[in-house]
Amino acid sequence: MTRKALSGIFSKFKGEEGDLIPILQSVQEKDGYISEDAVEHVARFLKISENQIYGVATFYSQFRFTEPGRNCIKICMGTACHVRGGRSLGVTLEKELGISPGETTEDKRFDLQRVACLGCCALSPVIQINKDIYSRMTVMRLRKILERYE
Amino acid sequence: MNNFEKKRKAVQKKWNALKNSGVPLIYLGTASCGIAAGAMDVLESIRKILKENRSKAKIIRVGCIGPCYLEPLMDIEMPGQPRISYANVDPKLAGKIVKAHLLKGKPPGQHAVGHFGEGNGKGTEGIPRFFDLPMLKPQARVVLRNCGFIDPEEIDHYIANDGYAGIMKAFEMGSEAVLAEVREAGIRGRGGAGFPTYKKWEICRIQKAKEKYLICNADEGDPGAFMNRSLIEGDPHAVLEGMLIAAYAIGATQGYIYIRAEYPLAIARLKKAITQMQKYGFLGKNIQGSGFDFDIKIKEGAGAFVCGEETALISSIEGKRGMSRARPPFPAVAGLYSKPTIINNVETLGTLPNILRNGASWYKRFGTKGSCGTKTFSLVGKAKRSGLIEVPLGTKLKTIIFDIGGGSLKPFKAVQTGGPSGGCLSEKFLNTPVEYESLAAAGSIMGSGGLIVVDEDTCMVDLARYFINFCAEESCGKCTPCRVGVNQMLIILNRICEGNGMQGDIELLERIGKTVKATSLCGLGQTAPNPVLSTIRQFRKEYEMHIRDKRCPASVCQDLFLSPCQNTCPVGMDVPGYVSLIATGQFEEAIRVGRETNPFLSVCGRICDHPCMSKCRRNELDDPVAIRSLKRFIGDYAREKNISSGIWVSPETQPEKVAIIGSGPSGLSCAYFLARLGYPVTVYERLPVAGGMLAVGIPEYRLPKDILESEIQLIRDLGVKIQTRTTVGRDITIRDLLAQDYKAIYAAVGMYGDRALRVPGEEANQVLQGVDFLTDVNLGKKVQVGQNVAIIGGGNTAVDAARTVLRLGAKKATIVYRRTREEMPAFEDEIQESYEEGIDMVFLAAPTRIILGEEGQVTGMECIRMRLGDYDNQGRRMPVPIEGDLFTLDVDTVIPAIGEFADVRDLFIDMDVATNKNGTIAVDDEGQTNIPGIFAGGDVSIGAATVIKAISAGERAAVAIDRYLRGDLNRHYPWRVRSRSPVSFDPSAEPVDYPIVSPKLLSVTKRRKGFVEVQTGMSVRIAKKEAERCLRCDYQEESE
Repeated sequence: MTRKALSGIFSKFKGEEGDLIPILQSVQEKDGYISEDAVEHVARFLKISENQIYGVATFYSQFRFTEPGRNCIKICMGTACHVRGGRSLGVTLEKELGISPGETTEDKRFDLQRVACLGCCALSPVIQINKDIYSRMTVMRLRKILERYE
Repeated sequence: MNNFEKKRKAVQKKWNALKNSGVPLIYLGTASCGIAAGAMDVLESIRKILKENRSKAKIIRVGCIGPCYLEPLMDIEMPGQPRISYANVDPKLAGKIVKAHLLKGKPPGQHAVGHFGEGNGKGTEGIPRFFDLPMLKPQARVVLRNCGFIDPEEIDHYIANDGYAGIMKAFEMGSEAVLAEVREAGIRGRGGAGFPTYKKWEICRIQKAKEKYLICNADEGDPGAFMNRSLIEGDPHAVLEGMLIAAYAIGATQGYIYIRAEYPLAIARLKKAITQMQKYGFLGKNIQGSGFDFDIKIKEGAGAFVCGEETALISSIEGKRGMSRARPPFPAVAGLYSKPTIINNVETLGTLPNILRNGASWYKRFGTKGSCGTKTFSLVGKAKRSGLIEVPLGTKLKTIIFDIGGGSLKPFKAVQTGGPSGGCLSEKFLNTPVEYESLAAAGSIMGSGGLIVVDEDTCMVDLARYFINFCAEESCGKCTPCRVGVNQMLIILNRICEGNGMQGDIELLERIGKTVKATSLCGLGQTAPNPVLSTIRQFRKEYEMHIRDKRCPASVCQDLFLSPCQNTCPVGMDVPGYVSLIATGQFEEAIRVGRETNPFLSVCGRICDHPCMSKCRRNELDDPVAIRSLKRFIGDYAREKNISSGIWVSPETQPEKVAIIGSGPSGLSCAYFLARLGYPVTVYERLPVAGGMLAVGIPEYRLPKDILESEIQLIRDLGVKIQTRTTVGRDITIRDLLAQDYKAIYAAVGMYGDRALRVPGEEANQVLQGVDFLTDVNLGKKVQVGQNVAIIGGGNTAVDAARTVLRLGAKKATIVYRRTREEMPAFEDEIQESYEEGIDMVFLAAPTRIILGEEGQVTGMECIRMRLGDYDNQGRRMPVPIEGDLFTLDVDTVIPAIGEFADVRDLFIDMDVATNKNGTIAVDDEGQTNIPGIFAGGDVSIGAATVIKAISAGERAAVAIDRYLRGDLNRHYPWRVRSRSPVSFDPSAEPVDYPIVSPKLLSVTKRRKGFVEVQTGMSVRIAKKEAERCLRCDYQEESE
């Protein structure tokens, strides 16, 4: 992220401790992940150590520290999804893409994450790709859906 | 305040104008559920068709009205007519409906699910009232009142529907009176703990501080719960107004909404709503002239379940790791930035405007004394009708699961409440009212409102592991009991599910669980063991099966089985084995594989209730593999080509004689396995023929006698002697057998006593008890039936009797069943074939008396109509007679077939054999009775069950007898070894894409003429084709 973009983010905040998480969320929204570079600059802005920032950022599962793929797949691991076949959906997806949750495919086309619950429980099992939510998922529909994404 | 009332009046005018404008309105559900189901594509389609037709109709995008399983929901309201709701609408159907209803004025009733008018007006013929639908009727939409009716992004809609009237009233009352009202209303925190809301407020209110905070906890982290999300997306102002009320009562100066980042739509709607609030003067300084200042900031969570716990939430807002703190001090005293802070749940806040507007006594009309009001729930999992519901507290669990939710497709097993903090409740608890205290007493908790229904396809051990895994991942790590203890429980559960469970694991889980509960710092650790402890309490047997037997009965824990079909089969038939061999034409080998575990291939291939097919994974693609028909194919092929088995037989013989009482499937199965183990076996049978129910209970047209006889002959060929016309207990006693040097006895006499109807007139000669009737016909006796026969009952015996009666020459056969068609226990294909053969069925009726003529002959039967009443604990509705609603059937013969019972007193003459309350013989898991050397199995110990279960009991008893006689518990049995089929399989190949083969049936005219077999078998070509549909679940890739 450019210095200009970072300053743009910082300008919306007072610089208090409570701003750390929203700032990190804005950084990740722009960059797709939290880079070492970004952490350095946030540390300076908030006047706290990088160590402290990592201490907070690594606690929350939302933040990622490696570059994401072009398309972000979230597979829901909620109870309703689990009970309706979420696990085999996840396993199939991992096999199909050749990666485990938290990783990105070699061609950077997809990255995979497991999410605790997307909140569409009545239509389980559910996966999300970028902003699209797919409900009542079956293993058979997976390939066709993945083809829609570059 | 005057200004606002003016504003409200203006807005109400606008709202009424919208509703009565003479312009059609289209409501479309676009909350996350609707969008996930495809509502945005539907929206596009609607817009397109309106544009094409230059329609002035307005589209109102609304929130979730409840039945998520019906999404996308599209409603059309024509001027002057009731709004009609259409379900499962896709873009094409939407176009069709809009054309028909909106443009042509003809609502297509077949797609409509309900209407919102009063009574049945014009245009709503045949369409039920939406709120009278079974799913909606028991509900009380208080908090959710606006969801589905207003556009959540229009503050004017909210205001027109009494929005912000609550806070205006609060300003009039003054903050102290507001707190009193909330105390009077008795509302308890809806986040899960159920702490009285007013109490927390009181503590905070009396704190002297310049700054106080009110936080709305919208970090709905329980997997399976989405009620808060739906409320925010459907009616965000209700929550915001609630925040104003709460903040006013406690004297807060700043508000926060802590909301999960995983709810982007809810966040967007909140942001918009807050902006609107500011514009209308409901935020900022001196709100509506009340002197009250308040502002709201949104803080997004970053993916940590523990941040739903209040002190962790506070840490997170402060920019720290979400770790809990010790209490005291409680947040109400020192919370966010050490200032007095109140954290309330979204639903609690959303309820407040209703309490203020309508008063506490209005609110108390809902719910019970200790648990006032209503509660929203997300009813999900295997419920047929899943979605968002709101019911008065005190509603019974069974009302929610069966009346509202429609029950589950497969038999109900349990409902999980309270998320990862809660417990599983089996059918024993279905009568529990949903209240804070009763759920806790039942071993669970209310929690935030997730209700997850599970059925026989859910493994309770795996479910417990799922929850503990979740908590282990979400544990903040601060305190040792949670960080280490929960992780240890996970390690143990993983071991169990992988087949490495050890004796003592259950006790260890209980001990660790209790310690973690008692010593953890916060609610996460204190409740994480609950799902494990409650499943151990209610499903201990399932844990024991995993640990001791290395079995997963639900066929979920993949390390414990190869294929679900084989795992579910009571005798563990190697289904992928013989199916794959059929596919490759290796029929002889297929026959051998089949017969290793079951001598009755042709028999079971015709009459088994095939649990394997209900678990077949091919079901998820199209239909199951026709496993039963394939089994029949190899059984019949073996007979046709006279193929001998090649099954394993022990090279040693054993000296001990074993006597078996009863030559039904259980007795013969036991004989089969004992003979293979080398024992001399004699089977004593009271009837003139061998086979038990297979021979005399099942009619010839379903199971031809010669087919049965050929498979019984296989057992004789192993050296088994069958002595017919010998009743043990009368012609010879068990003591006699023991004196004749039999070293072990297996009693498998079955259940053949007919249950009496207990109505006057039953003693007439033309009343023929069901089992006796079928037995006589099958034994070739001459049986007189009249012209007009009534058969009472809904199981296979009743259906068999009805179809037999027609073949004996009766003109009419009528089945009278006290429940409905859907609840008939008889096999589906039998019922279907009965209809085809012209059998009448009268449902929801039961006989009250049999009318006799002058000579005591049957001339008619008086019946009373029934209605379905309350649910019993198995999820079946109990039939209740409708007083005075009698009718008479003209019949001359009555055949009751309402169930069987066992009476073993004669059998065990002067022997003290333990029996169960219902007369069945008490045995342990292996079939051993309380008398050493005497075993029992089949219907006589399980109760009326199935043939395959009887065969399984026979096999288990044979093993138990062998171990008993050899004095060695470690003997092994080759037919029990499970291995992958040797037939090769290409996992990357696409499955063949044709559906299940339809069975060929004899024509109806041919059927009624006699007892020729109705279902024909498959040809070689079709059998091979069908077998290729198998997905080879037994194939497991070698891991690197």
